Amino acid sequence: MEEKQTEYSIFEVFIQRTQAEHHVHVGSLVAPSPDVAIQTARENFLRREKAVNIWVVPRDQITATPYEPDFFTREMDRKYREVAGYTENGRLWRMFKEKAITLEEIVAYVEGRKARERKKQA
Amino acid sequence: MTEDVRYARFMERIERGEKIEATDWMPDEYRHLLIKLIHMHAVSEIMGAYPEKEWVPKAPTLRRKLAIMAKVQDEMGHGQLLLRVAEDLAAPLGKTREDLVEDVYKSRVKFHNVFHMEAKTWADAGVIGWLVDGAAIINQAALLETSYAPYARVLKRICAEESFHMQHGENIILALAMGTEEQKQMLQDALNYWWESLLFFFGPKEVTPAAERMLHYRIRTKTNEELRQKFLDKYVPRIWSIGLTIPDPHLRYDEEKKEWVYTEPDWEKFGRIVRYNEGPKSKERMELRRTAHEGQRWVREAMIRSRMATAAV
Repeated sequence: MEEKQTEYSIFEVFIQRTQAEHHVHVGSLVAPSPDVAIQTARENFLRREKAVNIWVVPRDQITATPYEPDFFTREMDRKYREVAGYTENGRLWRMFKEKAITLEEIVAYVEGRKARERKKQA
Repeated sequence: MTEDVRYARFMERIERGEKIEATDWMPDEYRHLLIKLIHMHAVSEIMGAYPEKEWVPKAPTLRRKLAIMAKVQDEMGHGQLLLRVAEDLAAPLGKTREDLVEDVYKSRVKFHNVFHMEAKTWADAGVIGWLVDGAAIINQAALLETSYAPYARVLKRICAEESFHMQHGENIILALAMGTEEQKQMLQDALNYWWESLLFFFGPKEVTPAAERMLHYRIRTKTNEELRQKFLDKYVPRIWSIGLTIPDPHLRYDEEKKEWVYTEPDWEKFGRIVRYNEGPKSKERMELRRTAHEGQRWVREAMIRSRMATAAV
């Protein structure tokens, strides 16, 4: 390796705010090595905010799509994949004298019951 | 695709309000305007930390010392984020971080007039935090709508931190405004010293050819005068409310025209300060920047060498 490198390398920075979330890209920085990049990332992006994890990735290791809408458009109606595609359920349930129920309601119900059970056990 | 067609497509995107990314095709003029603007912004963040840094050892209490130190660190951080944006734009022209930093002390890039001025007293430090930052916030808030996406993203983070700077500056000012006669006088003297610089900060009243091009590309969407008027709207009433006198006997609000009338700053004098680095502190701060950068060159080189040595094993 004869070529003399005089510039730092570019690293992209990803921050994980809590363990319940994925890492999110927040920006980039220059550093001589991955460990210095980690230190600089903490100083540049986490002076106030809390986080549980940082990734630094050399920019040349990232493969990205171009900014072209074509890649992201779909020919077919994809409502069948989404909640919004099933709005008729509410009307159908009413025919059976029942109410439609959402995932959020179930999650809240499940978490509430668990919380009560834990309290009872304690 | 011919150059004309590319340009037309690009302008259609701009006019539709689309954001441009670093990897997109862009006209050379757009790239050069962005580099000039963002490079100056980055360098001004760094040089802007100097007048406040000078007050770190002299801050009146430990809490004030910690707070002003945090602010200095923020400004340096903002400089780094902005340099990254400028670097990606300048990379096709063969320019790197080293070049962009050297440009400061080799007088190849300008920085804001206010950071050439002297912070003699603690009230000066307070006025910098309150009004200089206030003016900068108005400028940056207006740039959040910029057509260049990487700049917009970084500005979003910067503006979030500026909200702390705003409160920090106001707190220093309010303490002095409620203090002894001597402190009040110190505050008035500071306002007298900074007022003209603050008006100049927003740039010439007329829309210069370069500014016109920036509006054309929606790099910025408001003129200097619009922003200066917004600054006066927000700050003049507050300056008056704490019993200060603005050193301009002609300053008044024209109810009919719905605008502030003010004595124009000495464009010639401040123009020279920015162009030729002739301000009271220009040379000293640039020299400090030079020693910091040159003096640490061996550290940067050693770190790169050590990385390459490990990679070779």
